[in-house]
Amino acid sequence: MPKTEYLQGALDLLVLKTLALAPNHGWGIQQRIRQVSRDALSVSQGSLYPALHRLEAAGLLASEMAPSENNRKARIYRLTAAGRRRLNTEAADWEQFSLAIRRLLQLA
Amino acid sequence: MFAAMLTRLRALLQRRRVARELDAELGFHLEMEIQSNVERGMSPAEARSAALRDFGGIVQTKEAIRDVRTTTVESIWLDVRHAWRSWRARPGFGLIAAGMLGLGIGVTTAMFTLVDALILRPAPFHEPEQLASVYMGSDHGGRTTVAPAVLRAWRESPAFAGAESAQADTAILDVDGRVVTRGIAWVTPGLFDLLGNVTPLAGRLFDPFDGRAGSDDRVLLSEDVWRRLYNADQAIVGRRVSIDGERLTVVGILPADFRFPAWNTVIWRPISFDAPPPAQSGDRPAVYVRFSGNMPRTDALRLATDASRAADAENAGLRPWVRPVAGMVLDAYYQRAVPLLAGGAVLVFLVLCANVCSLLLARFTARRREFGMRAAIGASRGRLMRQAFIEGSLLGALGVIVGAGVGWALVSIARAFLPEVLLLRTLNPLNVDVRALGVTSASGLVATLAAGLLPAWIGARVNAGDSLRVIDRGGTETRGARAVTRGLLVVEMALGCTLLVGATLLVRSFIKLAGAERGLDTSGVITATMSLPSSAFPTPQARAAVARPLEEQVRQLPGVQRVAWSYGLPPGGGAFSVGDWTSDAPGAPVVNMVVERYNVGPEFFALYGIPLLRGRSFQPSDTREDVVVGERLALALWPNLDPLGRTFTFLHARFHVIGLAREIHHPSLDATLDRPEFYHRFAGVGSYAMLSIRCDRACPDPALVRQRLTATHPAVHVVEVRALDDAYFEQLARPRAAAALAFAFAAIAVLAAAGGLFSVLSYAVGRRRREFGIRSALGASPVQIRRVVLRDGLGVALIGATLGSFAALILARSLASLQYGVTVSDPLSWAVVVGVLALTTIAASWRPARQAMRLDPVLLLREE
Repeated sequence: MPKTEYLQGALDLLVLKTLALAPNHGWGIQQRIRQVSRDALSVSQGSLYPALHRLEAAGLLASEMAPSENNRKARIYRLTAAGRRRLNTEAADWEQFSLAIRRLLQLA
Repeated sequence: MFAAMLTRLRALLQRRRVARELDAELGFHLEMEIQSNVERGMSPAEARSAALRDFGGIVQTKEAIRDVRTTTVESIWLDVRHAWRSWRARPGFGLIAAGMLGLGIGVTTAMFTLVDALILRPAPFHEPEQLASVYMGSDHGGRTTVAPAVLRAWRESPAFAGAESAQADTAILDVDGRVVTRGIAWVTPGLFDLLGNVTPLAGRLFDPFDGRAGSDDRVLLSEDVWRRLYNADQAIVGRRVSIDGERLTVVGILPADFRFPAWNTVIWRPISFDAPPPAQSGDRPAVYVRFSGNMPRTDALRLATDASRAADAENAGLRPWVRPVAGMVLDAYYQRAVPLLAGGAVLVFLVLCANVCSLLLARFTARRREFGMRAAIGASRGRLMRQAFIEGSLLGALGVIVGAGVGWALVSIARAFLPEVLLLRTLNPLNVDVRALGVTSASGLVATLAAGLLPAWIGARVNAGDSLRVIDRGGTETRGARAVTRGLLVVEMALGCTLLVGATLLVRSFIKLAGAERGLDTSGVITATMSLPSSAFPTPQARAAVARPLEEQVRQLPGVQRVAWSYGLPPGGGAFSVGDWTSDAPGAPVVNMVVERYNVGPEFFALYGIPLLRGRSFQPSDTREDVVVGERLALALWPNLDPLGRTFTFLHARFHVIGLAREIHHPSLDATLDRPEFYHRFAGVGSYAMLSIRCDRACPDPALVRQRLTATHPAVHVVEVRALDDAYFEQLARPRAAAALAFAFAAIAVLAAAGGLFSVLSYAVGRRRREFGIRSALGASPVQIRRVVLRDGLGVALIGATLGSFAALILARSLASLQYGVTVSDPLSWAVVVGVLALTTIAASWRPARQAMRLDPVLLLREE
């Protein structure tokens, strides 16, 4: 399993997409990304939490302290309307970008 | 106020809450990770350590989150708080640095305020650089005013945009029976237009016909006179006042800051040099001109020369000499001394700035470590640089505040203690120069910021882990820090040495000047100068009739031993003659020189203790052609002969030498003031009379003498009464002030350099504890270790002093005009400089060296 250094844009996209499904806490987001990508993508806490706080400061996420499944208080993040709009544009951009890369690779 | 407190409280609580929530959030993550590890079958302990390992740096993550969350304003506030805390941790360091910076800023600002007010700021007239006073002169140094016809010719000439006359004099005012003297000037009516920017506070200026017969009883008063003597009488314009015994009509009041042509001129009377009718016969104009901007000066002066020769045949061998008005308010001494002292202030400023830099850099390694540590736990370089910037700015701001205070205090002191004569000459109030304060503050800030940012830059550049390790183990100073701090110290030492050389030369000059041989006994002598107006005393008989009671009045004062009339008093002399002096010695050359001439009464030589070396003193039968010569004149005219009985000629007059007197000297920085002299017999009191009084132990108060003289005859105007020692002392006042100021500058610079050396060496010893420990463990004796530190300090001092000496040798050339009896190669001065520098260096290095020497190697190595 290759260790991947993510572009910041890619990390933002992953976080936004994960939260688009359901509000979640940091650990949940991390687990979810790992599961969905079948262990191909692993986000370290050192990158994840600064990214969450940055996105929140930018108004793309909202958060509150709420009890979680094991009854401990956790910070639950959810997508805001602005976050949803950003997700749409970023997803479209990513599609275009990866399509371009794929074409290039097939050509070569 | 309450609302503001509430906001701050809320911000504080919120910050706490954010921190708490962040802890909870990360704690929760860790908890979940452990739980999931346990579910995968790890033991609780294993699960925990695996989770912690996975998590990586919690502190780093927190720092990164904090970076993301805090706004710029918040983080700047945090940096300010951090700077404040680190200053509080070592307040002494910050205070010393800010104090030195402030001292530098203050001294430099005050000095430039003075230079600007006294020299740089032009006279407050329209285009003052085009204004000049013009007189005729030969190439030998003779100077003369022009005839009225020349003034008229210059007015018509295209050489000048205008030509007018202003002649300063002293007037006696009678204000309701109270008699006072004030400076007056006779001016042509067009003078005010020539100067420009002159507007009367009340009334009008002179009109073009004022000063002609019938309209010459007009007068302009200064606001100063109007307020002080006439109680700001609103109805004074049009009234008559009594000046010099005449009733004159006041036509206007001029602002107090208008003073022309002399600094003390406060009354103006019109005079006309129009032809016809000729004005007061015998009066000659003192000409001021305005050059026109569109003609080169050389062309204008050539035209003026031609015009002057066409108008007056006497000017055949002469040409116009020009003195700019902008610089006329200061005499030559101040013009030379003030810029030099200002240069000294700049050097002091540089020393203090370098000192602040070296103090900041002495902590280079410690700061570097701190910055490296913070870089290691995730602070970005921009963040570190910003923090250093804020720290430097705070220090600089503190320095600027101190500097403004010091500058203000120094200018206030100057305002209170500078002689009034000098202050009035500025024509402007003396206030702290904001531009100078701005420039020095900006330079000081740049210096502190540069010294503050360097450690942050290097600290953030080094790989975080590396910097921690290298510095901890290295145990010596880093090479870069060493080079920079030693370089700054060398600069400080060099500048300090330069200032010290300059100050020593000035102090030595002053001492030589004070102790210089005067050739006469000045203590216990009072001199009085009087003017006998020709209106009251028209004939020699009338003057002789008042001279007798004047002399008697003085003789009756207790303690008076001898009284002598004369024309000419030491040290200023009387009349001097310039030209060719021809001796009767066979083959003797014609000597062109300036010679002082005294007319002296019978007791003059005895009174002043001037011995007659050959021949005799005057007898009543002697004529004006019988003279006593001084030694220098005798040596110039008859280099190898006995002057007694010989003759010499000057301007067709032949003089016969009856005696040879010991030379009297006029010790002054201006060597041309010390002239050779000869004496005539005093034939009688003229319109200007001088009285010398020799007293024994208890001299009468000069004020008493003045009172007796004034009481003798109401028309006698006493110009000045003073102790002769005071007259000589005045000659010393300015060199003394210059020497004191230079000494203060040098003291500040040398002490600052010594302080810098001390702190840098102490710091270096602290850094090199390990190295010294190893050295002494390897067998170095304490003396050897002390030598290492002393060599460090002495090396810096030696290089600095060498560079400074070279700078001083260059500087000394411009200082030459302020020196008296001392040259830059004066061995005593250099001995003083070398001695002072060596002592300060050793004193500054001694304690750090002893600290190094007393380190216990065993203890040190155990510390590791």
